[in-house]
Amino acid sequence: MDLFLQTLLNGLLIGGVIATFTIGFQLAFGVLHVIDFAVGGWVVLGGYLGYYMAAGLGVDGFLAIPVAFVLFGAIGYLIGPILYNVRNSRTARPELMALALTFGLFTLLRGGMLTAWGFNTHSVPTALSGESLAVGPLTVPLIRVAAAVFAVAIASGLFIFLYRTRYGLAIRATAENRQNAALMGVDIRRLSANVYGLYAGITAMAGVLMGAIFSVNPEVGLRYTLFAFFVAVLAGLGSVGGALVAALLLGVIEAFVATYVGSSYSLLAIFATLFLVLLVSPRGILRHGL
Amino acid sequence: MNPRWAGVLLLIAVIGVLALLPMLVNNYWLRIATGALMWAGLACSWNILGGYAGYINFGHSAFFGLGAYVTALLMGDKLAWPFFATVPAGMVVTALFAIIIGAPTLRLRGAYFAIATWAFAEVLIQFASVMDFTGGIGGIGLPPFLDERFFYFAMFAAAALTYLITWALFERSRFGLKVKALRDHELAAEAMGINTSLVKLQTFVLSAVTASVFGAIFAYWVTFINPKSVFGGDITDQMVVMVLLGGLGSLWGPALGGVGLFVVNRLIWMYWGDTAFYIAILGAAIVLVVLFMPNGIAGLFSKRAGNSGAVLEKAVDKLVGGDQGEPN
Repeated sequence: MDLFLQTLLNGLLIGGVIATFTIGFQLAFGVLHVIDFAVGGWVVLGGYLGYYMAAGLGVDGFLAIPVAFVLFGAIGYLIGPILYNVRNSRTARPELMALALTFGLFTLLRGGMLTAWGFNTHSVPTALSGESLAVGPLTVPLIRVAAAVFAVAIASGLFIFLYRTRYGLAIRATAENRQNAALMGVDIRRLSANVYGLYAGITAMAGVLMGAIFSVNPEVGLRYTLFAFFVAVLAGLGSVGGALVAALLLGVIEAFVATYVGSSYSLLAIFATLFLVLLVSPRGILRHGL
Repeated sequence: MNPRWAGVLLLIAVIGVLALLPMLVNNYWLRIATGALMWAGLACSWNILGGYAGYINFGHSAFFGLGAYVTALLMGDKLAWPFFATVPAGMVVTALFAIIIGAPTLRLRGAYFAIATWAFAEVLIQFASVMDFTGGIGGIGLPPFLDERFFYFAMFAAAALTYLITWALFERSRFGLKVKALRDHELAAEAMGINTSLVKLQTFVLSAVTASVFGAIFAYWVTFINPKSVFGGDITDQMVVMVLLGGLGSLWGPALGGVGLFVVNRLIWMYWGDTAFYIAILGAAIVLVVLFMPNGIAGLFSKRAGNSGAVLEKAVDKLVGGDQGEPN
């Protein structure tokens, strides 16, 4: 029973961190209509930023979080318009071209990181690494708690931004119907750039946290892209509220398979679930609008 | 001379050179030529679905790998099937898998299909890595057969057949028109009475089965396979780049892109060895082609190439006032 509770807790804590970057992913899809393969690339880059700041400058890994947001937010802001142009170009098949572009971007990031930093695995050192708290029979690693708290803060901030500000309203309107939003005076092109920047920044922040909890190497990006896809399929593409639930579910599934079956089976289980969902209910089982 | 006859003469010349190549070059170059033929064929196999039907398959390596693993397992010590019996077996297994994956996901728009195929290839990597009968991460060996000419001609035949089938089906038949119609406007194609689900599935199965044949020959050729070497994402990456580079939806584009990129790959390999740098180059190539050359090399030769496919789309746009609704 203790093991069961411990596993559940671990899963929920990880699910919280996964939720942060999958919410951004859903937002980017809702506005840009592009499936971003590069999502795992941003996560890994965030992790490396944390590692190099801690190893090179000797500061705490947590300090990399705001830096990651600003740095990768800016990079995303520059890439956003390119994606927008390709997605809305007059070539024969813009949807496929945009998909190919993010796929290429992801491959470029992965190859670039492998070339620059090799296959070695690093973890992001923080003040809380290795510390843990005993709650009754359970041990709670503090780093995971901190990460989950960060995740909740980021997600709540995003929700407040989306549902309580005028700009958030414009984003939601664009996601629902871009033509009508444009008629209401929303500059879709600029908004797309901002949303992609916001998403890249949030994803890189989540990457620092992931690097602190697990570790980072260029090849794990694939795993995070898979997570984002899993959540997107379960929640329905573009659904932000569903992403939260699906991410927590994903964290729990992964934790249980890793504990009770073996960690080498966890990816297989996630893929199998993803596949079953696609077979049974291809448009997502938690469908809600933005 | 009439350009049509010039094209036919060029084709005859290319086939002639390819048929005589084993007598002209040594084994080292023959191996490279074999690889180039394989990639030209694989690119064409990807293009069957991606170019003609407009569905991007990010897990095409799954079918290449299925062909390779079926051949490897059947030719193993216990069963010891002859090579030529394993190829059709691999084709059948691959076709079954393609139907199981394609039937539900091809009904949806491209994005879900892209995710589903990508996930499927990753499932197979994981599956082959944890199972005992596939040899796990260590992989599986085949009885060695060291006749470079045999493999050259096998790849040559497979590639030639792939191109012939593609030409006959997609450039010269009603079936090809149906596929292109649904690519350009699925709803309009359906309204014309085309059973789009069936046509898409047939195209997908054809694309998958051709890939499995190359997988089977590849496994026998290299005599040793592991999950990464046949299911790996880099294999799909290469196919995607080759087709984009050559020209999406053109018949000869994938051959140009496939041979061109394979030569670049070998050059990098010769000078720098097995390097991650190549992955970065692949990624950069995809990005640059999408941004600056969306119609590929084939698009440079014919001004109409890129847009000719979208004639129906434009006509429908005019009729319904340009609003096709939101994607997905």
